[in-house]
Amino acid sequence: MAIKLIGFPQSPNTLRVVLTLNELGLPFELEPVTDIKTIKTEDFLANKHPFGKVPVLCDDDFVIHESRAICRYLISKYQKDANIVLIPDDLNKASIVEQYISYEISYYDPPLSKILYQEVFNKRNGRPVDEAVVKQGLEEIEKVLDIYEKVLEGKDYLSGEYSFADHLHTVRAQGIYAATAYSDIFEKRPNVKRWITNLRNRDACKKTYA
Amino acid sequence: MAIKLIGFAQTLHTRRVILTLNELGLSYELEAITEVQTTKTEEFLANKHPFGKIPVLCDGDFIINESRAICRYLVSKYQEDAKTVLIPNDINKASLVEQYISYELSYFDPPLTKILIQEVFNKRRGEATDQAVVKQACEEIEKVLDVYEKILVRKDYLNGEYSLADLFHIP
Repeated sequence: MAIKLIGFPQSPNTLRVVLTLNELGLPFELEPVTDIKTIKTEDFLANKHPFGKVPVLCDDDFVIHESRAICRYLISKYQKDANIVLIPDDLNKASIVEQYISYEISYYDPPLSKILYQEVFNKRNGRPVDEAVVKQGLEEIEKVLDIYEKVLEGKDYLSGEYSFADHLHTVRAQGIYAATAYSDIFEKRPNVKRWITNLRNRDACKKTYA
Repeated sequence: MAIKLIGFAQTLHTRRVILTLNELGLSYELEAITEVQTTKTEEFLANKHPFGKIPVLCDGDFIINESRAICRYLVSKYQEDAKTVLIPNDINKASLVEQYISYELSYFDPPLTKILIQEVFNKRRGEATDQAVVKQACEEIEKVLDVYEKILVRKDYLNGEYSLADLFHIP
């Protein structure tokens, strides 16, 4: 087993996979992409990702892309040896984890993505921040986190125990804390705050963002 | 096993689950939602879906929401009896199916949803169609389908054999 991850080291999609690799205690080589043209060549499109995107993971001869699919692959293959349960074996429990994975993609990621695009990506590229987009993103995420506050009542994690669903929420949260002035959206809700604090205090998270 | 699906058959999300139920040859009862307010009651938010969304599936006492999660649950539980393979058992094959499921979410669905909101949803509600949005989305989906054209060379299905990834593209 020789794992190579091709990606932009700072991008949330790459960090998502790095976080999973660290959670599973897997050694890997990160091949950073420094020039976007590298991922648009004929060879890359034919053999790595037909949409010219990263991250791409190579596990010996097996090549897979799309960050959440990569994470699922790593979990299916390595969670048992890592003595960690990110996706339970029990069918009903696993399905509830899938439900919360869907919440992350449908409700949590879109508004945070909008905010972070303005506050991080635009700023980094010397482009102006569209405050109206940030404001709308904040209004959306506040409503979403009101619901998460209820979902997390009496629970440390979304489906009770730490799972892949919670894990997937970490990267965007880290982005908000590290690069924006909006961490209050998590801090002012006690259940959400407890949950996010647990996620950010995990060894794998500290290692990923060291 | 008594499966009840709470949803609105005209919506893509409910149809996605109905497709999967039919693919697996499962009998079920459809509890049609005709009024949005039904999904916003305290009871619905507490017991069915905290975001007040449909579809929601009840299989005996087990309740699950979010259409793609529901489909995965049905496949995991019933595909063996149905003698159909929507998610392969082999880890590498299953992971490639996941890769193509991600394509549907990331690249295929967003532009088509934009077009359908304008052309179907807005028209149905007597609202104006924003042609600029439709035009931009058509340009996006054309580029996506150019890539799909290459992926599907000498293949009938995204991962070679029919899978849940292909099914997700149907609605």
